[in-house]
Amino acid sequence: MKLSKKVVLLGHFGVGKTSLFRRFIDNEFSEDYKVTLGVQIKKKVIEMPDGRELSMIIWDTEGHTDIEDTRKSYLLGSNAFIYVFDLTRIDTYKDLNQDLEYLSKNHPKVKVKVIGNKLDLVNEKEVTKKFEELNITVDCLTSAKTNKNVQDFFVNLAEEITA
Amino acid sequence: MTYQEEKLLFNQKTQCTIVQYDGTIKETDSNIFKWKVGASIYDVHPFFEIIKGFIEVFEKEETFYNFPCIHLEEKKLDKICDVTIKINTEEVVILLFDYSTKYYELNKIAQQKNESILKAKELELKNQYLIDKEKFKNSFIANINHEIRTPLTGILGFIEVLEKTNLNFEQEELARIIKRQSIHLNSLIEDMVDISKIESGKIKIVDERFLFINLVEGFEETYAKLAKERGIEFETHIDPNIQEYLIGDRTRVFQILNNILNNAFKFTEEGKVSLSVTKNYQRTNKLSVSFKIEDTGLGIQEENLNNIFDRFTRFNEDKQVSGTGLGLAIVKDLVDLLNGEIKVTSEPDKGTTFDIKLPFKFDVTKSTPEKKKKKYTLPETKKKFRVLVVEDEEATQFLLMKILISHGSFFVDVAINGQEAINYLERRNYDLVLMDLKLSKVDGYQATHMIRNNYGDKVISEVPIIGFTAKATEAERDKCLRSGMDDFIAKPFEQEDLLYKIVKQIAKKAAS
Repeated sequence: MKLSKKVVLLGHFGVGKTSLFRRFIDNEFSEDYKVTLGVQIKKKVIEMPDGRELSMIIWDTEGHTDIEDTRKSYLLGSNAFIYVFDLTRIDTYKDLNQDLEYLSKNHPKVKVKVIGNKLDLVNEKEVTKKFEELNITVDCLTSAKTNKNVQDFFVNLAEEITA
Repeated sequence: MTYQEEKLLFNQKTQCTIVQYDGTIKETDSNIFKWKVGASIYDVHPFFEIIKGFIEVFEKEETFYNFPCIHLEEKKLDKICDVTIKINTEEVVILLFDYSTKYYELNKIAQQKNESILKAKELELKNQYLIDKEKFKNSFIANINHEIRTPLTGILGFIEVLEKTNLNFEQEELARIIKRQSIHLNSLIEDMVDISKIESGKIKIVDERFLFINLVEGFEETYAKLAKERGIEFETHIDPNIQEYLIGDRTRVFQILNNILNNAFKFTEEGKVSLSVTKNYQRTNKLSVSFKIEDTGLGIQEENLNNIFDRFTRFNEDKQVSGTGLGLAIVKDLVDLLNGEIKVTSEPDKGTTFDIKLPFKFDVTKSTPEKKKKKYTLPETKKKFRVLVVEDEEATQFLLMKILISHGSFFVDVAINGQEAINYLERRNYDLVLMDLKLSKVDGYQATHMIRNNYGDKVISEVPIIGFTAKATEAERDKCLRSGMDDFIAKPFEQEDLLYKIVKQIAKKAAS
């Protein structure tokens, strides 16, 4: 049976949402920063361990410093939100808890996952300490550049949203 | 006017497509994308899969969904469209409005804006990285300084002890060389620490009133000896019109002149070195003093004069002259900190002249003489005085014991940490405690705090405590005094200074 689930990438601009999107779907990475205007949508079919196939429809949205500025229609019918932030820029995650609260209040049925991206540029121990200071919980640390944890993250997410 | 009609007015490039509930394209005008009638809209682009969800929740009312700025692609055709999806009881109507031109323009603006923000952030990060690196460097220098000073204390101290023993001529000469090299090493450490302090803005300029003539006479005394040893002349001249007492940072002025004089002596093998001090100008209670240091030494090539105050600059590598190349950089930084000026002129093989102008103030009302170092003597008693040395470093323990026991007036006990010191104090009466600050378990500050606060017995709580450490900073000294210690001595110390401080504290306690 072919399932279809909509996943939306959210977060500030320049955090690497498009890089994660391209790394996961096309296994490509570019150092050049290209702004995303509006939304780009692509599909990737994932074969689940139980043999089912999942069409993951990923919406790569434009970045906003305030999550409330995200166009409401982009979030309609979503099965999961991936909140991406840049591990090198504290500005992109210092308000994480408020943003997650906003999402859970307005989309209580949608699963939310948090990714700290650009792991290749930071010291993992130091950022983990920073998360403790800010009292934030992060689901996965990734590097779109090196492909670290990217594939595993999406595969695990696929299992969670189809469970 | 409806939303769709309004959009149509501004954009003629639209596409209208009618889709059945199962996703089959029933009709399309193919104005933008060449979609085929009969094909599934879900296969056209993954965006349209969202329609499935809308159909699932559709009830009776005709419903509109608007999606601005959607990237749609078909083969080589990329468009950015606003999409309106209308669902009624029979079918789904999809309206595409091609705003690619407008969005691509907006895209350029957004790209520039975001790039400039990201660039600024990147610079901020790089800046932070440099600040952190600088901090690390300064703390590294401070730590390594501490680590070097501790063994150096032992070396210098033991040489002083050794010098007082019966040495033959050769041994005396060897001891003198070791001492000279150790003093040189100590001055190199001082240079490194000064540079790191200047860089981190930790050097504070202090205004103090001091007897100006003493400063110059001090140089006369020190360098006349050196001149004699080197077989050269040393001349000084001081303008009698300069006020007796001046207000300024005596320590830094001394450091500047001492550094330049040291250099002059290093590079002068014959002829003379002279120091001339003249009043430059005077206004109200301010005056500018000119210090001219001339030598008949090696001189500096013209092309090198511009770099003379740069760090790690040395122009006489082949002359067997030691140095870090930091001395003149420190001088320049200190002169700048004092709001002074420094100029250098030189001719190779003829000599060099440094002209330094420094501002001072003078007090027109006060004429109190400068406080002289008061002399203290140990209280007259038949018994010896008991000193507790708290130190974990074996060499320093031994050195302190040697110095104190050789003096003949002291008994010495040694504790290796703060807790052990307290145990000793509870068991025996001491006249003084020499407390190292960096100790394991209970450190010097904690131990002092406990001694001062935990005991009703004044013999314990009021025992004089002198802190000593290799961290020879003013902050460390203040910290010692704030923690309840009576005095502080920095490693490496001279025997004379150490004994002076010990005698002073015991005498003061006896007089109180």
